[in-house]
Formats: sequence, structure tokens, C-alpha cells
Amino acid sequence: MMRYRGLLAGPAGAVAIALVLIAVAMLVAGVSPLDGFAALFGGALGGPRAIAETLVQTTSLLLPALGIALAFRAGLFNIGAEGQLLVGGLCAGAAGAHLNLPAPLTVAILLALGFVGGGIWGAIAGWMKARFNASEIISTLMLNFVAASLANYLVSGPLRSSLASGAETAPVLPNGWLPVLVPETRLTIAILIAIAIAFALRFVFTRTVFGFELRAIGEAPEAARRAGIDMRAMTWLALALSGGIAGVGGATIVTGVLHRFNTQLSPGYGFTAIAVALVGDLNPLWICVAAFGFGILESGGLAMQASAQVPKDAIHVIEGLIVLLLAARRYVATRAPSAAV
Amino acid sequence: MNGGFALLLTLVTLTLVKATPIVYAALGGVLSERAGVINIGLEGMMAIGAFAAVVASNVSGSAIVGLLAGIAAGALFGFILGLAATKFKVDQIVAGTGINLIASGAAAYGLVLIFNQPGASPQVNALGNGYWVLVVFALVCTLGISWLLYRTPWGLRVRACGENPGAVKSAGLDPLRLRLIAVVCSGALAGLGGAFLSIGEVNLYSDGMTAGRGFIALAAVIFGRWTPWGATGAAIFFGFFEALQFVLQGRVAWLPSDAMQALPYLAALFALGGLIGKVRAPASDGVPY
Repeated sequence: MMRYRGLLAGPAGAVAIALVLIAVAMLVAGVSPLDGFAALFGGALGGPRAIAETLVQTTSLLLPALGIALAFRAGLFNIGAEGQLLVGGLCAGAAGAHLNLPAPLTVAILLALGFVGGGIWGAIAGWMKARFNASEIISTLMLNFVAASLANYLVSGPLRSSLASGAETAPVLPNGWLPVLVPETRLTIAILIAIAIAFALRFVFTRTVFGFELRAIGEAPEAARRAGIDMRAMTWLALALSGGIAGVGGATIVTGVLHRFNTQLSPGYGFTAIAVALVGDLNPLWICVAAFGFGILESGGLAMQASAQVPKDAIHVIEGLIVLLLAARRYVATRAPSAAV
Repeated sequence: MNGGFALLLTLVTLTLVKATPIVYAALGGVLSERAGVINIGLEGMMAIGAFAAVVASNVSGSAIVGLLAGIAAGALFGFILGLAATKFKVDQIVAGTGINLIASGAAAYGLVLIFNQPGASPQVNALGNGYWVLVVFALVCTLGISWLLYRTPWGLRVRACGENPGAVKSAGLDPLRLRLIAVVCSGALAGLGGAFLSIGEVNLYSDGMTAGRGFIALAAVIFGRWTPWGATGAAIFFGFFEALQFVLQGRVAWLPSDAMQALPYLAALFALGGLIGKVRAPASDGVPY
């Protein structure tokens, strides 16, 4: 789907333009860019606590972005990471409220459940594509909304916590909490898990037959088919894995940050992660860097809003512009006509 | 019996009102997809249309000016998407995602910048009862676009762009230009739908006002098999369920409202899966040319 060119030609240029645009946004809001950037970077990187919070945001973006990259590499547009993340979190939250085994085992089970939940959500779209040639773009998008409705229904009914005031499940029992890395912050080992998954993916993409087949069905579907690659199996498997990784993201938010499932668990991580995956050039290691950059934007945006009066939403405009700019600089190969909606 | 009749009347009128913004956006979706561009950005275009309508109405004091501004803002974002998808050969899905981020962010940012209050705008002059004109006009638009697509040379060319842009090129026409025009019209219609939400149904803009209607419109396009009347029918069907939620609030315990909210999306999924008749998208829908 995408031709890889020098990384600097794409992401670095887009980021530079984005920084200029942020400065313009600050000027428009009547704030000196110097103060604005000081607030942005100070809020995101000024001290251990700020950095820890930035890394929390980084983790929440990194996992869905890695999942998206896997699907995109296979030429599959997974724009359903938001829903997959939600279902993953839902599974982890529902089980976490009752599961009370020894700590490491509980955590492992909850994350695995997140993977399964998100994976099922991705697999539905994969199966629809393999079976009916239904566009995964539309199905993953629609499934986001089905996931949101399902979550709303479950937390307001069957899974509702008797103690909670809002729409959330009962808290995850302490044995299911992810160990904290930096005391007094919300930073847990989730960041290490995410980075480990990034390295594992890099290995898969560059060193395994499966990774090669993924790229083959994405870049040359006709050739892949003639070479005997099972397109149907690869399609649903790729989307299942993609959703699974996003689902782990949801599970880490539940077990590491909120300690319960809440329908407001994601402020759109699954959509921002598309931008992260693109900025990282679909390369797992660069995606880690990109996720950190976006993590700075997300957590610094809050600080900027508080101290420099630049609304946080300005950040979304910038993120969208980065996506457009980056995508425009790329040569995008046309997909096979059969892949049309 | 009388109460029942009143309820039915409420349901019918509410259905039409709730369907109207979706109808406009879905018609936009039909135009753009028949030309071969998938417009994922409908949601963002609706949001920016709704926001621009409120700003213009606030500045000018006239709801009509607001309406026109909503259409213009939608068209502008349509132009950005169209340019990205044609001249710059950006992947349409990626570009549409970017558009949605920009539009929702810009509207939220604009609330703070222009009205100095986050979350919602102050109240502005709205269309009042005049919004019924827009409800009827949505059906007129369906008729008009249907005629355009199937009864005029321009419509034939647009449809040809969606099926086989190469053939259009061979005929000496510029498929990219046709696509661009179709996407601009698509944005204008989505902007109109957004304006209906903000200064038709109510008299202000609030964050998250579009609430996924742009995506429901996308579902209506598929459910309606890429035809204007089909999409409008699907939009009315979805509007009916939205209205039903209001009317049945608290009356029917066994059907959770969340299930109703998921319905349009489930319907689209089933339509995609071919469980509701055979669906075939334009052959070059979503393929850059």
C-alpha cells in the first residue's frame, strides 16, 4: 500500500510544519508562541511526574497504533481501533472486577482477555471481508459505534457497579492492577509491554514468512494470490491481530490507569492512533517515537490549556493537519479494484 | 384512541425532523461515492457546517446567512478533501480521517476563540418554524440529485468516474475535475445538514452535536445501495428509530435504547454482508485515479 522513502522527507518535515502551525494557532489565540510552547513542553516534560503522564498517554496511543500499522501493512484499512480498544477494555474490566488469582497471573489473564476482545472485534470485519468481500473500511468504522452502544448498555445494565455513580463497572480487584513503574504516578509497566510488542512486530514484519505474506497481500494482492497465499485466512487473521493489539491497549488503560472500565475510557485514542501509525511510517520502532511525540501533544495540550489559555482542541486540528500533510507527501499505490467498497 | 393518534403524529413529524440532517449528508455521500470518492469526512463536514452556521448567524443576526455559511463551510472542507483525493492522490480514507480531526478540533477551538466559552455557543437567531422548509427541501434535493445523476450528461459522467475513470479520460473529459466537483457538492450538502442541526432544530452549537450522524449517513449510503432515493429511504428509516427512542422513552423496558442506537450501524453491516439484497459499490469507489 505504501512505498517507503526516506523517513526524513516525510515525518520530520510534517512535524516541522506542524510546529509552525501550532505557533500560528497560539498567535491567533493571542498567546506568544514562546509562552505557549513553554507551557506545552513544560506541561509534558517538566519534571518526572509530567514525563510519567506523557508516557501514560504514549502507551494508550502506541498500542492501537501498532495494531493499525499491522493492518495497514496488509493493505487493510482498520479504522476501527477505537471500538477494538473499547471492547478490549470492556473484557478486561468485566473480568477484573471478579478475578482474584495471584497478581502476575491475574494481570496476564486480563491483558489476554483484552487481546481476545479486541481481536474478536477485528475478526468480525476480517471475516466479513473474506466471506462477502465487504469493505473493512466501512465495517470497522460501523463496529466502533456498535462497540460504544454495547459498552453503554452493559455498564448501565448487567455490569453496572452498585457503588459507581456513573457509567462504569465495579473496580478491578487490586491483584489485577498493573505494577507501577514510577511511584505516585499512573505510569505502569504497560509502557514496557507496548514497547516489547513493538519490537516483536518489527521482528515479525522483517524476519518472518508471516510478515512477508502480510506485506504481499497488501502490496501485490494478485501476486500473493497466485503465489498460493491464503488470502481469506490472512485477511481475517491480520484484522484479528490488529484488533487484538488495540484491545490490549484498552486493557492496559483499565488495569493500569482507571482500574475499572468506564465508557469514557478513550478520548479518541483509536482515531489519533491512525495519525501516529502514519507518522511512524508504519514502522513499529518509529511508531514508538511518533507515539511519544503525540503523547507530548496530548498531555502538554492539557497544560497549555490551563496555563496559556490555548484550548486543547487546537491540538486536534494540528493532528489532523499532520495526517493530511504526511499522506499528501506519500506515493500511495492504488489498491486492487476488487478491494473497492 | 385520540392519544394514540397524537402519538403517531408526533412520531411521524419527529421522524422527518430527525432524518433531515442525515438525508442531506447521505445525499452528499451518494454524490461523492458515485464519483468514486469515499467521503469519511461527512461527520467533520457536518460539524463545521453546524458551527459556521451559528457563527454567521451570530455575526449577521440572520439565520439565512447562517445557513449559507454552513453550506459554504461544508463545501470548503469538501474542497480540501477533494483536492487531497484527486490532485494529491492522498488515500481517501486517511484524508477523510484527517478532515474529521481538523473539523471537530476547529469547531471546539472556534467556540473558545470566537465566543470565549468552551463546550457550547450562546444562543443565536435560528430558523424557527422555517426549518420545515428544509425538511421538505431535503426530499426535493433527493429528487433533484436523482434527476442529475440519471437524467443528465453530467450525471452520466460522474457515475462513469465512479465505475471507470479511465474511460472518462479516454472520452476527453477530466475525471479528477468531475470528482472534485462532486466532493465539493458533497461537502456543501453535509454542511447544510449540519446547519439544520444547529440553527434548525435548536439555536446554538455544542461540542459533539453531530454525534456520529455523518457516519450514520455513510451507513445510509450503503444501505440505500448508492442511490439517492435508497439513501434517503435509509436515512428516514434511521430517523424513525431515533424518533422512536424519544417517543418510547421509558415506555418499553425490554428494548434498551442502546440497542436502538446501534441499529443503523448494524443495518449497514448486514447490508454490507449482502444479507439485505445484493450490494455493489461503484467499481472504482475509493480507488485513487
